[in-house]
Amino acid sequence: MSRKKKISIAAGLFGILALLAGGLIYQSNRVVVLEVGIFAGSNWDVANANSYVIIDKAVEKFEAEHTNVKVHYYSGIRKEDYSEWFSRQVLRGREPDVFMVLGEDFNQFAEIGIMKDLEPLMMADQDFQKESYYSTALQAGQYGGRQYALPYETVPTLMFVNKSLLNREGLSVPDNDWTWDDLYQICRQITKDRDGDGLLDQFGTYNYGWTEAVYSNGAELFDENGTESYFNDERVTEAVRFTKQITDLNQRQKVSKDDFDSGNVAFMPLPFTEYRTYKTYPYKIKKYTKFQWDCITLPAGPEGGNTSMINTLLMGISNHTEEEQLAWEFLKLLTYDEEIQMDLFRYSQGVSVLREVTTSRETGEILQADMEKNEKFIDNNLVSDVIENGVVTPKFPKYADAIAMADNEINRIIEDDDNIDNSMRILQRQIGKYLRR
Amino acid sequence: MQQVKLRDIRVLMMAVNFIGVLFTTVSVAATTEWICSRYEARDFLDTVHAIPVQPRMNVIVVTALYLILVAVFIAQERYVNQTGRIYLLLVLEFMISAVIVGVMNFNYNGLFFLVFTGVMYHAKGDKGKYLVICLALISFLLTDSKLLSINFDLYSINDYFNFYDASVQQYLLGAYNLLNSLNIILFIIYCILMIQQQRGTIDEVNLLYEEIRKTNQDLENANHQLKEYAKITERMGETRERNRLAREIHDTLGHTLTGISVGIDACIAMVELAPREAKNHLERISAVARNGLLDIRRSVNELKPDALERLGLESSITKMITDMKSVTDMQIFFDCRIKPLKFDQDEESAIYRVIQESLTNAMRHGKASRVRIVMERQEDTAVLTINDNGIGCSEIKNGFGTKHIMERIGMLNGTVEFKSENGFSVIARIPIRWGEEYD
Repeated sequence: MSRKKKISIAAGLFGILALLAGGLIYQSNRVVVLEVGIFAGSNWDVANANSYVIIDKAVEKFEAEHTNVKVHYYSGIRKEDYSEWFSRQVLRGREPDVFMVLGEDFNQFAEIGIMKDLEPLMMADQDFQKESYYSTALQAGQYGGRQYALPYETVPTLMFVNKSLLNREGLSVPDNDWTWDDLYQICRQITKDRDGDGLLDQFGTYNYGWTEAVYSNGAELFDENGTESYFNDERVTEAVRFTKQITDLNQRQKVSKDDFDSGNVAFMPLPFTEYRTYKTYPYKIKKYTKFQWDCITLPAGPEGGNTSMINTLLMGISNHTEEEQLAWEFLKLLTYDEEIQMDLFRYSQGVSVLREVTTSRETGEILQADMEKNEKFIDNNLVSDVIENGVVTPKFPKYADAIAMADNEINRIIEDDDNIDNSMRILQRQIGKYLRR
Repeated sequence: MQQVKLRDIRVLMMAVNFIGVLFTTVSVAATTEWICSRYEARDFLDTVHAIPVQPRMNVIVVTALYLILVAVFIAQERYVNQTGRIYLLLVLEFMISAVIVGVMNFNYNGLFFLVFTGVMYHAKGDKGKYLVICLALISFLLTDSKLLSINFDLYSINDYFNFYDASVQQYLLGAYNLLNSLNIILFIIYCILMIQQQRGTIDEVNLLYEEIRKTNQDLENANHQLKEYAKITERMGETRERNRLAREIHDTLGHTLTGISVGIDACIAMVELAPREAKNHLERISAVARNGLLDIRRSVNELKPDALERLGLESSITKMITDMKSVTDMQIFFDCRIKPLKFDQDEESAIYRVIQESLTNAMRHGKASRVRIVMERQEDTAVLTINDNGIGCSEIKNGFGTKHIMERIGMLNGTVEFKSENGFSVIARIPIRWGEEYD
């Protein structure tokens, strides 16, 4: 071997060693930036002054635990812009490592492979018990039977009750285990023309639709994969029939938001967040001020319970993140840490997705603290039950279109005096055909 | 000439594929920016089944990989005659192409045609090339993006094209299809040229074959001539032998007879004048005649195998007996009980010699007046018995030709027995090789 060759080999080896050493030094001093995608304001379209309090706390805690990690998020993205902003990041391949997913985006994002399948991470993590979550909240983050997102905050639907109106009619607020019959009796009793102009001016329900009835009658509209629909199921037909009965009480008169705001409607389905926001100070003075009101569960159908739909804000991890483990740790901090989840009751209006947190005494105290002395906040254990038994909308790509088709047709059936059984059979055929296509 | 043309087409395909690859990735990246600038990203996401991870990065990655592919191409040109390296480079070319096609989510898989041409160009006549061709062919068929998207989430360039107005869409799709078609057309041209070149090779092979056939013919002729020559040589041998005999007869018998006739003439003239001298003279003539007889006997002996060949065994024996009877007054009986008397040449020769030797012995040593020759068959053995009424001998001495007889019969795996009671008897037993000759 020539001298020249020896020298060049030695130089090559030295170069490789230098590179390796440099790489090691760089790696140990490197600051990892974890990008987080969140939006300002509330997911529930209620006023929220404390948008970033929880995330800032979480970031602080996370950065303290991981010294070489910086968590970054863009502030000031409004909820209505968030979807577009996030989609742009996705298209350019620059999506955040951990991000919030809006309910209407989740299906498509999971379908086109933006979201990481969390099952392996969940399995690998010894400290993680998915049973701690409400099963319904967890279910909201599943697509095609796999967990693509974890729930961050959940919101059940409750029934708004105009206490003043009921008192005026000599009725008391129904119990939380009331039924369709109770609802119908009350509605029949209070639907009347009070000023004698020949038109009804006091109504039973506003916005109580066939879907609420279906969910509280133990029925399902689709199977999990979106291949089957059950519109001719007796429980569904029964719910539609009941909705028609309730609607018919109004004698084809449309009940408006104005009627409701003026205190002329007894019942309205309402998300928990609205209740939380406008029942307590400071927003208490902003809405529903002309009457006394409270919230109870939705009435149970003959085949179901006092259940309603729950809405869940989800968070996921990018399928292409380079910091999978860190992203998982941060996602876990936001969705699984009891302290952070407890903050939801302090700074947000939704409900924690962890059963332990929601049913804790501390939660009850936080909720009660904002109330006026003479009023009692809805019991947090009842809320927990409502979430536990809640209904989650199925996750499949054609869901939005299929449910829109069904809503359109069923509303027509309720308006017109059709043969309900027959019309539902036809609808079932149409939807089935669409799903199979 | 052909080689250069084929390489030119490969270079051209290289260029077309580069444009195709660049067009695919750049149009996706550019459309992404266009969508984002119009704030329609969310709506766009609803229309796709998958999206590339990083459209801009894809352009860079694909370009870099393509440069490596070009380097591999140049290396192939350089190591064109080193089979091992060429195969390594072809496999490398295939793998890089596969990665590029994979990065583009199979939206452009014309690169496999390039791999095809590479294999056909460099691996002529090798069996390995069929393997690589099969691999490339299967890759091309299986990597159809529409086929793959049934089972895998792959982004489709059509989704991106569909974002534009119909008029722009047409141009983009047109350009995309044009590149694909151009690539295929170049590939077909390449194949045609390749086939033409191979036909040239076949013609060459045919020419060579024709030459080999001619050479073969020449060789056969030469062989034939050689056989003829051998025959002539054989005949010349016969002639030479005949000449030798003629010379011998002339030299010995002619000389002797001349001597005798001249001697007898002298005796005739002398017999009355000097009878005593004439008598002496006659005695000398008698000695000459005896010597001559010896010479003749020697010559005849050399002639005899020919007689055997010419006449066949039985006739030869009969002739020999007749000849013998004419010079002596010995009675000879020949009893042949095997009909037809025909053996292999070596057997016949042995039998002939044994009879000749025995007759000579009977006459010379036994002083016999009667000889009986019997040829008969006992199962698989031919038994030759020669019995005379001579004086026999008390003990059989070697050297009376008996050694000769034993050797000859021994060579045929036979046995010989000599008896000396009631004259002298020679009994030779020769195993017969029947089957072959008599069936």
